[in-house]
Amino acid sequence: MKLNKRYARSIRANLPFYVSASILTMVTLLMFYLFYIAGTGINRYGDEFFSKYKREDAAFTTYREIPDGEIAVLEEKYSVTLEKERFAGVDEGEYRVRVFRPNEKIDLYEVRDGRDILSDNEILISAGYAAENGVNPGDVIRIKDRDYTVAGTFLRPDYLYMVENVSDDYKNVTTFFLCYMTPDEFEAQFGGGSISNKVIYTEKTDEAAFRRAINEDYFMSSYLSADGNMRITFVHEQADMFIMSSWFILVIFPLLTVALVCILLGRRIRAEQKLIGTLSALGYERSQLMRHYSLFAVIPGIVGGLLTSLAALLLAKPFGSLGLADYEPMRPEFTLPVWVAAAGVVIPTLIYFVAAMLRVRKLLKADTVDLLSGKVGADAKSRRILSKKKAPVKRKFAVRQLVGSPGRSFVIFLGIFLGAMIVAFAFSFIDSVQAVGKEAHGEFGSFKYEYILNSLENGKPEDGEPMLALQYENEGSSRFSLLGLDRDATLWNLTTVDGEKADLENGFYISTLCEATFGVHKGDTFTFRSIATLEEQTVKIDGVIKNGYQSYLLTSREKAAKIAGIDEKSYNAVLADKSLDYKSDEVTEIISDTTYETQMENMMTAMGGLIYAFMIIGMIVCIAALYATINTMITENGHNISMLKVLGFEDGQIDSMILSSNHLLLIPGIALGIAAAWGVMAWYCAEFVEVEHIMIPATLYPQSILYTALITLASYVISLLLLRRKIGRTDMIEALKDGRE
Amino acid sequence: MFIEVKNAKKQYGTGEAAVCALDGVDLSLEKGRICVILGPSGSGKSTLLNMIGGLDSLDSGEITIDGQNITRLSKKALTAYRRQSVGFIFQFYNLIPDLTVEENVQVVAEIAENPLDMDEILTALDIEKYRFRFPRELSGGQQQRVAIARAMVKNPKLLLCDELTGALDTKSSRSVLKFIEKINRGYGTTTLIITHNEAIAEMSDIVVRIKDGRVDSVTANASKKTADEIEL
Repeated sequence: MKLNKRYARSIRANLPFYVSASILTMVTLLMFYLFYIAGTGINRYGDEFFSKYKREDAAFTTYREIPDGEIAVLEEKYSVTLEKERFAGVDEGEYRVRVFRPNEKIDLYEVRDGRDILSDNEILISAGYAAENGVNPGDVIRIKDRDYTVAGTFLRPDYLYMVENVSDDYKNVTTFFLCYMTPDEFEAQFGGGSISNKVIYTEKTDEAAFRRAINEDYFMSSYLSADGNMRITFVHEQADMFIMSSWFILVIFPLLTVALVCILLGRRIRAEQKLIGTLSALGYERSQLMRHYSLFAVIPGIVGGLLTSLAALLLAKPFGSLGLADYEPMRPEFTLPVWVAAAGVVIPTLIYFVAAMLRVRKLLKADTVDLLSGKVGADAKSRRILSKKKAPVKRKFAVRQLVGSPGRSFVIFLGIFLGAMIVAFAFSFIDSVQAVGKEAHGEFGSFKYEYILNSLENGKPEDGEPMLALQYENEGSSRFSLLGLDRDATLWNLTTVDGEKADLENGFYISTLCEATFGVHKGDTFTFRSIATLEEQTVKIDGVIKNGYQSYLLTSREKAAKIAGIDEKSYNAVLADKSLDYKSDEVTEIISDTTYETQMENMMTAMGGLIYAFMIIGMIVCIAALYATINTMITENGHNISMLKVLGFEDGQIDSMILSSNHLLLIPGIALGIAAAWGVMAWYCAEFVEVEHIMIPATLYPQSILYTALITLASYVISLLLLRRKIGRTDMIEALKDGRE
Repeated sequence: MFIEVKNAKKQYGTGEAAVCALDGVDLSLEKGRICVILGPSGSGKSTLLNMIGGLDSLDSGEITIDGQNITRLSKKALTAYRRQSVGFIFQFYNLIPDLTVEENVQVVAEIAENPLDMDEILTALDIEKYRFRFPRELSGGQQQRVAIARAMVKNPKLLLCDELTGALDTKSSRSVLKFIEKINRGYGTTTLIITHNEAIAEMSDIVVRIKDGRVDSVTANASKKTADEIEL
């Protein structure tokens, strides 16, 4: 078809539109791609690593040691793999080490750098600590008064996220590391060491029967399933968060962008109605014209999709690595699946293709004479606004541009809205994380320190308020804390969401996180079981206390102790409003009122790269979207611009008349973009509870709203500046040749 | 002379595709005259009008309007020249569709240094009663009268008309030409009319014939007729 010779010419003439539409398509799809690639890469690596290095299904301790001879019997009887892991903790002051004797069946290690240990004076250390502190193979580390040469570094499947204590919320690779030494050296240094039993279940295993049997024969003192072990679950949780984010991004940003490009394509095609009418009059069939214009429309889809795939291939590794900041130094492969790459090209291309076909079909339903005179689909309904009012014509013109062309105003609004939403979403993510740091401790109470003791104490501490804190689980093995406090406790938050003070002597109260996690509400009964004995208990919930960070069931110390079957005066934690003199071997953990803030700062340090990349992408989207829409608007106004030039208007005056009306769209565009971003964040946070077991409050601080507005405004100004030359370049004569009204 | 064009040359395109639109045009016109430029399509008459109106620039040669050489004016100065000195009337009116009749005229009055009374102009052109209508609600002749009003409200020194009756029927054409005549007489506005229509030449003071980018002939019209007298 000779008509196809127009392609190159038309593309050249409308190059800025095709470039901006392609960039828009690319950038928004790229956000989805990168999050998806990061998530799937980490998940795939985790699965393979867990399988290859025999990740535990659970770890437990018993009051009576399981005899070595019984291991094989238990394995046979319950279809499990069982191994006693021996370890010892060493506090060297500047750093703390957890030393292991190498296992043979479960939780094996992978040497990451250097080589395996060959002699008694060599050790392997965890890779994250080595990377953080610049420890290399050949360096020497002192442990328990002996110098060891670091032969290499390692990763193991139950420590890919290096939290020192399972109750910690954030990793520690600065002052804590794991270490392997030869079995002989371990025996020499630590004798038998401490024992943690590791188990891998099979499909034939009756887990409950196994746990009951262990408890009956050896008295279970603790049980931690892999599902409840943050060191293990974090791998898939973080990966799932990336994948969840990618789907959120896909549902919102690319779809809005594709919609925007479709609208712009439609307007471009409408602007060609005289030619379409002419071709139709010349005898071109509807199908020929639909095909012709649809092929124009696929350009942003194909170019954008291909650029996305290319950019994703180039950026997958560095971007995915940003998502690995929290883990031990894993080496997942970040690859772009062919079907995802193909979908990225095919889906937007197909949508643009169909949108263009529908637009041409709709145009061709109109009268050819109307097409030839360019009257089809003109936004003319609201032109009469202010027609009889005394006002400067420039103002009337601007208002009619805005209100009289709702379609055109909508696409510009959409461009502003989209940019503001992406930027505000990134800010909201940062603010929400910071809100956790700032507000979390307040939901716990007014104490400054919480000391988690190594052992059960009796009576009352010399200073501070005693608390009994024990771990329980529901039938699905989801854990929570059973907390017991004295009647006169003042440092823990005891105010219910109803505004009443919790009556600990006579009732049970749950945190809002517990309520969300287990679906239990005030007035319901809550059944849970002992992790060690699996013995079930049922209590009635008398109220809910706001706390989105810890899943707990709160009652009096006596009642908590009674549930646990221990002395009613027992406690294993102390709350204090000042620092207390506990020795380091007396406490397993000290939580201060700045712990959450520090952890969230660390989290932002780790995730900051991703978020700021997201924000930059938001700005690019904002500029590209506005550039594409305002560019289309100027093209549509070509005749008016030419005529104003002929009449002697200066470029600045024309800018003001044609573009100034859009300034008004900034306010609703930014406001609604911010509101939508907050809504998306709230939705995201609600989903986050399932993945991360924490209720992050969707937050957007006033300064972030201001920054969002300023960034969107700056993007708007940049796009206007980029387009200012277009008005200057508008050819008076060419445009006027076609100026038939 | 009010208009002086000396050896004006303009070429569009390059190489084999080059088209010589003006090939050394010389032209002079006294103030207050009506000049009709005749010529076949592609002869260069519209190009000449665009050059005189400051819409385009010459490759070589000079154009002086009322003593001001506009050939080498800056973009800003050319804009000011168009704003203050020139009124344009086009074949297809080129009104701004989003503005009413009154607003299409007012938009020019607002930027002009010494505008005429808008109501007087609207009344003179017999379009006062359409002042709140939009261009698409008017006939071609009515739209062209609005275009004349828009061109005249700035009180220009020079009125440039490009095929102003080309899209009109005979009755409307005569009506429009009568208004041009009336303006020329009433305001003394120098008027340049480009047309294919030989009959219009009869109401001019000077007839310039252009062919292949050159002035073929310049004739003073000894027996000038009124718009009512010519046969369209």
